[in-house]
Amino acid sequence: MKHNFIDRYANLDSPLHLLEARTKLLAFTALILAVLWIPAGNDFAFFAYFFLTAILMGISQIPLMYIVGRTLVILPFIVLSSLAAPWKGIAGLSVLFLRAILCLMLLIILTNTTRFVELLRGLRKLGCPHILVLNLSFLYRYLFVLTEEVLRMRQARDCRRVCRGPMRGELKLLGSMLGTLLIRSFERAERMYQAMLSRGYSGEFQVLAPRKFTWRDLAFLAGVAFVIFVTFWSGQIVKVWTRVLA
Amino acid sequence: MSEYAVRITRLNYTYPDGTKALEAIDLDVRTGARMALVGPSGAGKSTLLLHLNGVLTGNGTVRILGQALDPKNLREIRRQVGVVFQDPNDQLFCPTVYEDVAFGPLNLSVPEEEIPRRVERALRDVGLDQSIRNRPSHHLSLGERKRVAIATVLSMEPAILALDEPTSNLDPRNRRHLIELIAALPATLLIATHDLEFVLALCSRTVLMDRGKIWADGETNSLLRDSALMEAHGLEVPLSLRGCK
Repeated sequence: MKHNFIDRYANLDSPLHLLEARTKLLAFTALILAVLWIPAGNDFAFFAYFFLTAILMGISQIPLMYIVGRTLVILPFIVLSSLAAPWKGIAGLSVLFLRAILCLMLLIILTNTTRFVELLRGLRKLGCPHILVLNLSFLYRYLFVLTEEVLRMRQARDCRRVCRGPMRGELKLLGSMLGTLLIRSFERAERMYQAMLSRGYSGEFQVLAPRKFTWRDLAFLAGVAFVIFVTFWSGQIVKVWTRVLA
Repeated sequence: MSEYAVRITRLNYTYPDGTKALEAIDLDVRTGARMALVGPSGAGKSTLLLHLNGVLTGNGTVRILGQALDPKNLREIRRQVGVVFQDPNDQLFCPTVYEDVAFGPLNLSVPEEEIPRRVERALRDVGLDQSIRNRPSHHLSLGERKRVAIATVLSMEPAILALDEPTSNLDPRNRRHLIELIAALPATLLIATHDLEFVLALCSRTVLMDRGKIWADGETNSLLRDSALMEAHGLEVPLSLRGCK
């Protein structure tokens, strides 16, 4: 079964794809934090970040519909949390909404321009604890295994079902399927551990050659820092500019 | 170079839940031999294979290439004994095929420059195209996954290979390819399988296990022909041997 979740387009060759994982992790984290910190009234900053995100999307060669589609998936959750926002009124709602959309798009670009493995390696090099990275890598790999199992369980269930029963029965069934999946996961984890031991695993996970840090990475980081700097001081800059023009 | 690749003496193993899995197993395998382990489901074949590289430890002695299993030499033992499990999904846990095949050598501290060569050779030995390297394992068919699973162990260049049901769930073509591939390997082979025709084709010696004990050990042809023995242990004489006395 072919299915791709997190990094479907991570194997392309755009300028963004060529950058090292750490660069992108740092840059995108900085951008996301910056977006979260834009003061509510600063429209210029919002425009600037949307513009930047659009440019990054373009450079990355990731299909627009994919990014939009993924963002839309989270839409209900964003709407719900927007309703609980401290800022009242349409302005407040839209601020939260825009922030969320921006952050999400940036995240999608990050994960689709960096192969998941390299992302993990970058995290490790930036100091993320080994055990966390290890678990993320298993999560990634076994997401697909679990999906296949769920699909098969569903097929098996559908083969023995004539029509959908009452809600309570359905939920009970779902409950047992989840329980079975959990148990199977435990057993699989044990077999996997045996397989790892058999291939000499002793605790630390070794990884292989990735991208190297080059001038491109430096340039990218500098560019991002510049944009953040400019937007943060954009309030002042606009004031100075209007005074100059006046 | 020891004469015996594997020497098992009075091996007993009980599962944590109390089930007796292996009882007084005595087994000697010469270097370079090809031995089949046959028996009904639940006989203890897989359990026995897991004792070869110290994943499971029972009472009794297991000597691999002359060395008794010991926590201190487990790393070296695992370099020499490659175990391939029945379900490839349990053994392919890295994001790409390349990393899975490189996992073993990396753990054995093989120098980094050497790794690509080992991966290339392992993939070539199992008859896979090099282009499969960057693909994630969930994009492969079962036959390809089974072959990658074998490659992950071959890249460690072990002296002994233990295979658990290598031909299960394979279509005839893949099965044939697998038989050819295994026939060409220089390692000492221990193969646990239900596929008796496979045993006939590859292994000169067969050991019959049932309920944790060894019931017969001898030349493949004569053992598999013994219908009384086969039927007593939930097996049957392979088709190609029937009707010829």
